[in-house]
Amino acid sequence: MAQAAMGSSQQYNYEICRKFAFMALVWAVLGMSAGVYIASELAWPALNLDIPAITFGRLRPVHTTLVIFGFGGSALFATSYYIVQRTCQTRLYSDWMATFTFWGWQAAVALGAVSYMMGYTQSREYAEFEWPIDLIILVTWVVYFLLYVQTLRRRSQPHIYVANWFFMAFILATAILHIFNNLAVPVSLFSMKSYSLFSGVQDAMTQWWYGHNAVGFFLTAAFLGMMYYFVPKQAGRPVYSYRLSIVHFWALSFLYMWVGAHHLHWTALPDWTSTLAATFSIMLLLPSWGGMINGIMTLSGAWDRLRTDPIMLFLITALSFYGMSTFEGPLMSLKSVNALSHYTDWTIGHVHSGALGWVAMVTFGSFYHMVPRLYDTRLYSTRLVYVHFWLATIGIVLYITSMWVAGIFQGLMLRSFDDYGNLAYTFVETVAFLHNPYMVRALGGLSFLSGVVVMSYNIFMTIRNARAEAAILEAKLAAKMARI
Amino acid sequence: MSDARKTQAAVQTTGHAWDGDIQEFNNPLPNWWLWAFYATVVFAVVYWIFYPAWPVGGGYTTGVMNDITFVDSDGTEKTMHWNTRALLLKDLQESKSATLSHEYLEKVKDADYQTILGDAEMMAFTRSMAVGLFGDNCAACHGAGGTGVIGLFPNLADDDWLWGGTVEDIQTTITNGRYGFMPSFRETFNDKQLDDVAAYVLSLSGQHKADASVARGKAIFQTSTGGCYYCHGHDAKGMKSQGSANLTDQIWTIADVPDADTQEQKLAAVKAVVTHGVQRTMPHWSDRLDKTQIKLLTVYVHELGGGQ
Repeated sequence: MAQAAMGSSQQYNYEICRKFAFMALVWAVLGMSAGVYIASELAWPALNLDIPAITFGRLRPVHTTLVIFGFGGSALFATSYYIVQRTCQTRLYSDWMATFTFWGWQAAVALGAVSYMMGYTQSREYAEFEWPIDLIILVTWVVYFLLYVQTLRRRSQPHIYVANWFFMAFILATAILHIFNNLAVPVSLFSMKSYSLFSGVQDAMTQWWYGHNAVGFFLTAAFLGMMYYFVPKQAGRPVYSYRLSIVHFWALSFLYMWVGAHHLHWTALPDWTSTLAATFSIMLLLPSWGGMINGIMTLSGAWDRLRTDPIMLFLITALSFYGMSTFEGPLMSLKSVNALSHYTDWTIGHVHSGALGWVAMVTFGSFYHMVPRLYDTRLYSTRLVYVHFWLATIGIVLYITSMWVAGIFQGLMLRSFDDYGNLAYTFVETVAFLHNPYMVRALGGLSFLSGVVVMSYNIFMTIRNARAEAAILEAKLAAKMARI
Repeated sequence: MSDARKTQAAVQTTGHAWDGDIQEFNNPLPNWWLWAFYATVVFAVVYWIFYPAWPVGGGYTTGVMNDITFVDSDGTEKTMHWNTRALLLKDLQESKSATLSHEYLEKVKDADYQTILGDAEMMAFTRSMAVGLFGDNCAACHGAGGTGVIGLFPNLADDDWLWGGTVEDIQTTITNGRYGFMPSFRETFNDKQLDDVAAYVLSLSGQHKADASVARGKAIFQTSTGGCYYCHGHDAKGMKSQGSANLTDQIWTIADVPDADTQEQKLAAVKAVVTHGVQRTMPHWSDRLDKTQIKLLTVYVHELGGGQ
């Protein structure tokens, strides 16, 4: 075992996976801390402390950027490099290109966070990076694309495994989305400020075409790629259905591109565009569920694993939350439901059921599987994995339910009339109502964050033990050599 | 469960293995999944038939049997294919709440203040609508209950009216806004004079014993040395034409005398106002609210403070 793993750590570039996995956890702790802080600011506005850099408006993009691109992005780099090497049985095409993507990506995330706190933003949700940082991302992403394609080309397997289709779709779609949404003209070569090439409703449409496909390809397709490797690997069972994986891959990739406009119902957007977005969202439900079925049914016949394997628990819970939020999404994309839900916290709750429940949970499960293998060792503590699981699950439940209450009730308050046909509530009364749900939400976020801290400790100790073991082995070997 | 396991055991894998042990069964698509997917496609197609959906040439398919008839802003009746703007206009004109509210509004619009104040039903409607108008437009400064913030925004729920408490006065205030001004006496008086004036002002509401300082303050207040009486009057009861405060009651709008614990703090609070003066603005609302809305708010504010 040790020898085989030693062999694979020479055969594959594991160093790049270790680096990205480490940074994923660093960004997770920082980004989720920022999230808990801004959630607390909404419940207790005095926490602004009158410091512009930490007001909600500036910290919110710091939170989203660190968790989506810092944590999620680094986790995808780590796992995609791990998966493409192992399923193609080949080393990454180029070590320096891999290292380049590491530094490029980390620089973009760090510069983004700092620039937002200084007040620089493009004001495009999930694409707040100003143009110089956009260029860093662009170059990094093109290198990532080339590296991935070249690695696939030199595989020593006749077929490309399904996980890699999803990663390719993710890399390609993200490149297109990033380029077109960020077309902008800088004020001058030495100014951070730029203006979008689009204006008015076209601008909004471009932004939400980007915004929803960032969800579709960055946060869904790519993490499905992660799922397609780690679920069958951890379960030790074949994937449920190859046919289903083909059908739902193409259906998902085709349908997602149409749905962004459902973020703009009841606006200046033409009604026909709205209709297309709503109907394509409905048609997206079953293709989304295809991934969930394929993952969960892989465990069919080995359900007892859930009782003994906390990593499996993470992966299957992630798929359940994925199924729930991909059902909720199409529901919210219907114009009549959206009229109630839009501009309320229901949207925030929906995003987090996907982000915490699906994206983060599937990453946690994958990391608990991958990191010990990267260091050729065993996980420091299985008990702590259980602790993490419950902290995370309780956190998500508190978060989602409080946001349902906040969003649905605010929506209902805003549209209720009294006996004289007048609005029953003023806007500020609906805001006052939000205080209690906001406190519960902050608590849920805190629980989720503490789970990540427990995980970071567990992973840190795992790596430390691995290094200690390696040192002992080396010392023994040296002693043996000395005797000879 | 055991059946499912049996069928799955019979299913073959695709024959490839990746990374040593990852294989794929070749199970057929689950039937419920396939039929549910077809159902969503049917839903979409039906939706496209009835609603604006596909861009064609320079236009788009408008949907059939789904027209909306509504009264346009120019008063003409229009029939259009389904669209969200027409839907909103129709809702604003024909929904139950809109027609109900409209009916009352028409009544209030033509009624004078005495009629409204004397009609229980119109008053109930006024309260219902104005609480929203007040909450959305006035509460940001005056507070949801209209109690204001001492030192910044006047309390509308007490018995004191700086600019007059009749419905006509209140309507003027809301329509045109107000500019509250008292000059600063920092350079006019020396420190001792400021103390004396503060003592006299407190004595007017019985909060300072009559001593030498009060007498000196009175001399400044009531003569052209200070000229305070120009605006506050010899009786110190204020003038609504100037928006000057009545200093003889226990109601304070700028100096936080009620919250002062000691006599020194009371004196300091009043002295600060005399030293720095007052400059505060209420914006005019005639550009933002229509006449009927202002009328409703006038009645509401009048009632808040037990108007005159």
